[in-house]
Amino acid sequence: MLDLGWAVVGGLSGKYLGDHGAQVVRVESATRPDLVRATQYVSISRANNLDDKPWFNHLNTSKYSLAINLKHTQARSVLERLIRWADVVLENYTPGTMSKMGYDYEYMRKIKPDIIMVSGSAYGQTGPFACQWGVDGTGSACSGRLDLTGWPDRCPINPSNTTYGDSVLGMINPLVVIAALDYKHRTGKGQYIDASMLDVSVHQITPALLDWQINGRLQTRTGNRIPDASPHGVFPCIGDDQWCAIAVFTDKEWESFCRVIGNPTWTKQERFATLSLRKENEDELEELTAEWTKNHPAEEVMSLMQTAGVSAGVVQNVQDLIERDPQLKEREFLVPLKHPVLGVICHPTPPYKLLKTEAKVRTAPCLGEHTEYVCTELLNMSDEEFIELLQQGVFQ
Amino acid sequence: MADGLLSGFRALDLTDEKGFIVGKILATLGVETIKIEPPAGDPSRNIHPFCQDTSDPEKSLYWFAFNTDKRSITLNLESSQGKDLFRRLVKTADFVLESFPAGYMTSLGLGYEKLSQLNPRIIMTSITPFGQKGLYSNYKGCELIVSAMGGVLENTGDPDRPPVKEALDSCYFHANVAAALGAITAHYYREISGEGQQIDISIQEVTASRRTMGLIGWEFDRRLLKRSGPMNQFGRQSFRWIWPCKDGYVYWQLFGGKHGASANKALSQWIGEEGLKNPLGEITDWQEFDMSTMTSEKLNTWETAISQFFLNHTKTEIAEEGKKRGINSCVANNSSDILEHAQLKARGYWQELEHYGLDFSPIYPRHFFLSTETENFVKRRAPLAGEDNDVVYGEELGMSTSEISALKVSNVI
Repeated sequence: MLDLGWAVVGGLSGKYLGDHGAQVVRVESATRPDLVRATQYVSISRANNLDDKPWFNHLNTSKYSLAINLKHTQARSVLERLIRWADVVLENYTPGTMSKMGYDYEYMRKIKPDIIMVSGSAYGQTGPFACQWGVDGTGSACSGRLDLTGWPDRCPINPSNTTYGDSVLGMINPLVVIAALDYKHRTGKGQYIDASMLDVSVHQITPALLDWQINGRLQTRTGNRIPDASPHGVFPCIGDDQWCAIAVFTDKEWESFCRVIGNPTWTKQERFATLSLRKENEDELEELTAEWTKNHPAEEVMSLMQTAGVSAGVVQNVQDLIERDPQLKEREFLVPLKHPVLGVICHPTPPYKLLKTEAKVRTAPCLGEHTEYVCTELLNMSDEEFIELLQQGVFQ
Repeated sequence: MADGLLSGFRALDLTDEKGFIVGKILATLGVETIKIEPPAGDPSRNIHPFCQDTSDPEKSLYWFAFNTDKRSITLNLESSQGKDLFRRLVKTADFVLESFPAGYMTSLGLGYEKLSQLNPRIIMTSITPFGQKGLYSNYKGCELIVSAMGGVLENTGDPDRPPVKEALDSCYFHANVAAALGAITAHYYREISGEGQQIDISIQEVTASRRTMGLIGWEFDRRLLKRSGPMNQFGRQSFRWIWPCKDGYVYWQLFGGKHGASANKALSQWIGEEGLKNPLGEITDWQEFDMSTMTSEKLNTWETAISQFFLNHTKTEIAEEGKKRGINSCVANNSSDILEHAQLKARGYWQELEHYGLDFSPIYPRHFFLSTETENFVKRRAPLAGEDNDVVYGEELGMSTSEISALKVSNVI
């Protein structure tokens, strides 16, 4: 795959393919570095270094990096050879950018008739919003997710430093790539794919779209409450900012829940006898539940509830994910990988486990780390030509 | 009509709500997806909301939403005849999708090992809250619980209240996209090697995979980035990114340097033109603007000025004028706004689907992506329970009407 992707979606899309064995050549340039190569989110990262950004590494494992200045006059001949070499080209620049550079699908197809090209974007390649700027937060607001997240009496919110649409589109893109490769094997035909965060994200709130059309109900934020369970919330536990989530759906689960908390007399009251009554008296029910949970460690609440067959889970932070959670360890959620600049850091493996063909994750490349390898080994360029282009400043 | 990317393949879909969407994605890509429900119907048909608010397993809008383009047969997998029929179907299938508690299929004698003996090409995609093996594999989980255990819940909410979940079933949706990616990756390998395999999806793990920015904060600086309401924590500086406006809310994020320059300048100019106090006006070179050099006092004055500005405008004004000016904001659309959105209309995003008992055809999202060569569209409403029994058992498996009736009587189908 010729990977012209960048930022989060572009990074992830190629990463998942590389992790499962595709040769992914990431094309980038110090003259216009990836946003994520410039982020200084942690103290080890410096403004003048493009290779010390651990977030970039998480998003770009198992890739080769070819440094090339696409604006250089000699760049086109190298890129043409890369297109001929590739089965797939993936990009997620602002729509129109590839055409402006002269690298649109028609151009690719002339060079390689059965090429598969995927363009990712916020709003899609066509339509009145095509060229609008957009990032993860844009997708959240536009798709309706944002308006449905948070408390009914407060401003809606997103997770504070966690992506959603970027993460989802970063999986849709490779999914489409592989399906299109399979289609090509069966039919000999390539194709052009236009995938947008908006188109994908709106699917997620389809029940709310139907509720509005059919019942005239405009759904809004409900905090942690849902119609099918009660209690269904996040409750305080012993310690600073420690919480346990509990969800009680059926009457049987309700009985188990009551048993776990010691069958206090209030649980026998008529106003909590059925799900619909518990929903009616949910404010009180939540307060009474919290009265019990606040005297227990979150871990104990989870364990007691789960043993009794009630859904419950500790509200874990990233330290818990890395150091505590035995289940994630069992699944090898994180693998340590050595990077020449950052040393050994833990990387999430692809979170879908193929039990026969496991992912093999390699550390992300430094910028241009594989320029020579890609040119001479993958593109069969002679050493003389490579040195010539290098001296002309193509590989920057 | 053109084929979908995966037309010609078949999936047997045994999932409940934790796994609806993987089959929906495959079906939209052209895979013939057959939902297999217990004789009384899938219990997940009882999830709210309901059509006209009538609690009826054939009227769950949640079920409608995520089971489009599937066929439905009923089958009792716990009966020996039911198992035999399932085994016959597995021989005709390319994918099995399931979201039972870990170990349940194996306890029925229908685990991956057994199914692969019948059909070595079969790909079995198993979706559970925590995975097939390990200490928590038998733990119960739903959206709220996997969000908690996956580390996203902790990062979402106002600091003065408990953490709060994301919209509807966000973690399920993401995990199902991951499951579809896994299934299609395994499919590609199967087409080359002839060998199927099982795919193990933990919804918790998929959720945790979103927390990479938080992971590096802990790993490098032993820093935990807390939930901070409408402020964002991308990076070392925190700044508001969700703003109330006159009739709703908008998203607008402050970026430094080249990336934010034109939008910052456009917003500053707009604020200035309205005669409001505009501390952003001090910045002369937005290309060089670096948020990390700003004091928190200064950022507070900016926040006040921007808040005041957005409060003076409606969603429509911000959407329309903001687009013209290029301020890179987006209003928080509700369902009504989305159905009217010019971009989605222009892209042919909506598909009417006819339903029994409704005097109009509601519209559904039609595609996940567009292609020049293939049609990967939502085309058909979700099925009634057992709607395709006669076709599948009769026409395909060649059973007579009386045989089918007998199976119904003995509660096999």
